[in-house]
Amino acid sequence: MTAVDEAQQAHDVGPGIETRSGPRYLTGAGRYLADHAVPGLCHVAIARSNTAHARIVRINTDGAAALPGVVAVVTGSDLEAMGARRFDHLLGRAARPLTWPVLAIDRVRFVGEPYAAVVASSRALAEDALEAITAEFEELPPVVGGEAALAPGAPLLYPEWGTNVFLSAEELAPGLDEAIARAPRRLTERFESHRVCGLPIEGHGAQATWDPGTARLTVVASSQQPHQLRSVIAEICGLDETHVRVISPDIGGGFGNKQHFTREECLVGLLARLTGRPVRWSQDRTEALIASVHARAQVHEVEVGYDTSGRVLALKVKVISDLGNPVLYFSGTGPAIVTVANLSGGYAIDRVGWSLACVATTTCPTGAYRGFGQPEAHLTTERIMDLVASDLGMDPGDVRRVNLLPDSPRPWRGNGGQRIDVGSLDSQLDLLLERFEYETWRRRQAGARAEGRYVGVGISTLVQGTTPTQNDTAGRFGSLEMASLTILPDGHVNVKVGTKSQGQSHDTTFAQVAADALGIPAGLIEVRDGDTDALSYGQGTWGSRSAVMGGGAIIKAAGEVRAKLALVAAALGHHLPTEGAIDLDVYARVAAAAWWHTHLLPAGVEPGLTATTVYTPGFTGPSSGRGANHDETYASHATAAAVEVDPATGTVRVLSAVMVSDCGVVINRAIVEGQHQGGFTQGLGTAFLEESRYNDDGQPLCATLVDYTIPTALDVPTVQVVHRPTRAETTGGFRGAGEASIVVAPAVLVSAVEDALRPLGVKLNSTRLHPSVIRAAVRATGWRPDAAGWALRARVPGEL
Amino acid sequence: MNAPVELVVNARPVRVEVEPRTTLLDFLRDELGLTGAHAGCEQGACGACNVLLDGRVVRSCLVLAAGASGSDVTTVEHLGTPDLLHPVQEALWRHHGLQCGYCTPGIVIAAVDLLSRIPSPTDAQVREALNGNLCRCTGYAGMVAAIVEAGGSHDDEPVIG
Repeated sequence: MTAVDEAQQAHDVGPGIETRSGPRYLTGAGRYLADHAVPGLCHVAIARSNTAHARIVRINTDGAAALPGVVAVVTGSDLEAMGARRFDHLLGRAARPLTWPVLAIDRVRFVGEPYAAVVASSRALAEDALEAITAEFEELPPVVGGEAALAPGAPLLYPEWGTNVFLSAEELAPGLDEAIARAPRRLTERFESHRVCGLPIEGHGAQATWDPGTARLTVVASSQQPHQLRSVIAEICGLDETHVRVISPDIGGGFGNKQHFTREECLVGLLARLTGRPVRWSQDRTEALIASVHARAQVHEVEVGYDTSGRVLALKVKVISDLGNPVLYFSGTGPAIVTVANLSGGYAIDRVGWSLACVATTTCPTGAYRGFGQPEAHLTTERIMDLVASDLGMDPGDVRRVNLLPDSPRPWRGNGGQRIDVGSLDSQLDLLLERFEYETWRRRQAGARAEGRYVGVGISTLVQGTTPTQNDTAGRFGSLEMASLTILPDGHVNVKVGTKSQGQSHDTTFAQVAADALGIPAGLIEVRDGDTDALSYGQGTWGSRSAVMGGGAIIKAAGEVRAKLALVAAALGHHLPTEGAIDLDVYARVAAAAWWHTHLLPAGVEPGLTATTVYTPGFTGPSSGRGANHDETYASHATAAAVEVDPATGTVRVLSAVMVSDCGVVINRAIVEGQHQGGFTQGLGTAFLEESRYNDDGQPLCATLVDYTIPTALDVPTVQVVHRPTRAETTGGFRGAGEASIVVAPAVLVSAVEDALRPLGVKLNSTRLHPSVIRAAVRATGWRPDAAGWALRARVPGEL
Repeated sequence: MNAPVELVVNARPVRVEVEPRTTLLDFLRDELGLTGAHAGCEQGACGACNVLLDGRVVRSCLVLAAGASGSDVTTVEHLGTPDLLHPVQEALWRHHGLQCGYCTPGIVIAAVDLLSRIPSPTDAQVREALNGNLCRCTGYAGMVAAIVEAGGSHDDEPVIG
């Protein structure tokens, strides 16, 4: 790093201030969905299909309705009779026609698909009543797995389509096939990202209250996007948007799982109107695991042409995305469209082309999980770099260096229209190799191999589009954010923002941002989010967007109010600068005068100190003939990991993980490092532990946290984060930090584990690195455990 | 049909009748309004509902309220307040050992239980003790450093700041 970079970094990495919400959460004073009891509250239990695929012959709810405590039992037809409307993806791309009812009416297409609901005075009584619903189903053949759904003669989920392909698209660069055929070296591979679940520890849920006097519906929902949820609830319930209020309270984790606008969130609204009672649905853990949102589930068939210097000349990827039954807003098509837009990553590849088949299967809908299509793309780009290195006998770092985007021009225009504004990727990689002590790890690896131990090193160089517009993915996502900022007469400041914190501590970081912009202490500032009545619009939190968009909107509002402060101060004979810290005594006088002593204000100066703004960086949209730029800015992260694999048990221990992070200006380093540590852990869970498995009948095999295991404190390393920020062109200079590490982790771990097992010649092309998978791969090479060798290795694990 | 439950919760005697199938978790939350223990899985796997029963950590989703009759229950609400945090809570806060906060009360209870048995645990002992608490946000690093520090062992992890 140059001296200039060091100085820049010192300014652009904020201190690790303790989070404001911490004391509340630590003492049990958080207020999550289930902490919103109101008088007369009823509970909803949902009857869900036990069969992967069936025609619904009849549903009889009479017995359930007669049970004590039961207020109502409804089917999908009952809801439509009361005016419920159907869901629609509003995709920006052509797809097969598909709408779906709140509760399944004619057919069920996955185990867990809802077909009836009970409202009762307690959750236990509602669940009791489910047992009394009788349903006759005529079973149809299941379809499990994207490739099976494409096979000739596969059973069809929607016979009217004549296929299981919901959406297909293609973008092939001219001369792509010829370029691959002409390339000095070629490889053909199949990479798989397996099906997992985001799984916040608080399950999803929603509680609705209908006020007949004002004809307004209030829904408290554990939702990442309250404003868009308002739109969908209004549509489905037949209300206008001014008559729906959505409140997102404290959220016990989101990770994309709570980004969709679900059947259940609309169901409680309809049931509150139907019964006149407040009603709550709290997803239980089995519903969360089998009937919420699965993710990833992509197969990539890859053709690559490269030269003997390691330069990738042409890349063609056929993506098959398993949507499950796509009855979930934007479903797995959203992530898949992001995947195909990111197939060149941070590399300058002359020709890139792809085809995409998003296919329906009789499994849980797939959709968002932190990273949203980018982990799947990153697995492919990083596997390619490693395989090219391996083929040419080159160091994987050197192959990346040959292919990384050069330092200029900026912004770099990618093949797909991307407007990539990242810092120097070469120097980021240099810093990574230095801080990770790459050469030392290679020496340790050689030493370990000499002792018959399997140590490996993986690296990843990620360029990640952040703050996406999604304008061709889902029709209800714009590229904007809203904030309002008001200085009250006592000098305290109300900030309201349309993003929605789910553990990212926005109350802390946005107070820091507003404090910097106003030149006053953060202690004077309160930040609120998650109430559509408090702020008219917003886009919620997803896609590493909140610092960029919420921060940008707040800075813009603060700028307007600060200009006003200076005007009012001048009218009172004072001076308040428009940059830097300000005199708090003068500030206090100006705050009071602006609201109370309006007779002192000069003509033309409007009273009050408040601004409501809408911010967009303005970098997305069509770009002159080379596709569209989908992301307002880009972040870059270079990561290395060292692992030791026990070939006998198939377990992997991560010995070191280092990430050089450029997420733009860092507001609060502790929070950014927490995001990186947490995301890496989730990605590690994907690789080593997690899978939403099905058997051939379409029965889910992981319905409890005993079958679906996620990382514990025993499974994870501490990721060492090296901040190397560069300012983005966005207001505030932020790039976004929430997803980088989960995009990186599966790819870097596949790379490291394969490198560890290189002496055995094991090839790994799937994110599924569970012990059983590694054991099978190792044993397929003929390797067998050596009991005597084990005894000799009874030393401290990781000591090299 | 209802079962009498008589226990001491957070140092106060409580006497209520509940349905026999009521879990201790639902009892604490619905009958007593103590919402600090959270329903994470209701399958005994995640630890978000941890409370101390006669001084030892239990999953309140796996204990029937009637079965806990005669016992002494401590929930997270009894350990500290936002203005006066318990040393474990204070350390977790300073080490950014929490994010969304949903698993956090269960972590606090598990840590208090650990420190009552092993006053100065090592990093490995803390990780072992937290093995039954699932956190999806943090990746555990700040949490482990905080509990090691709260126990007074020397710890090289930097406190945030």
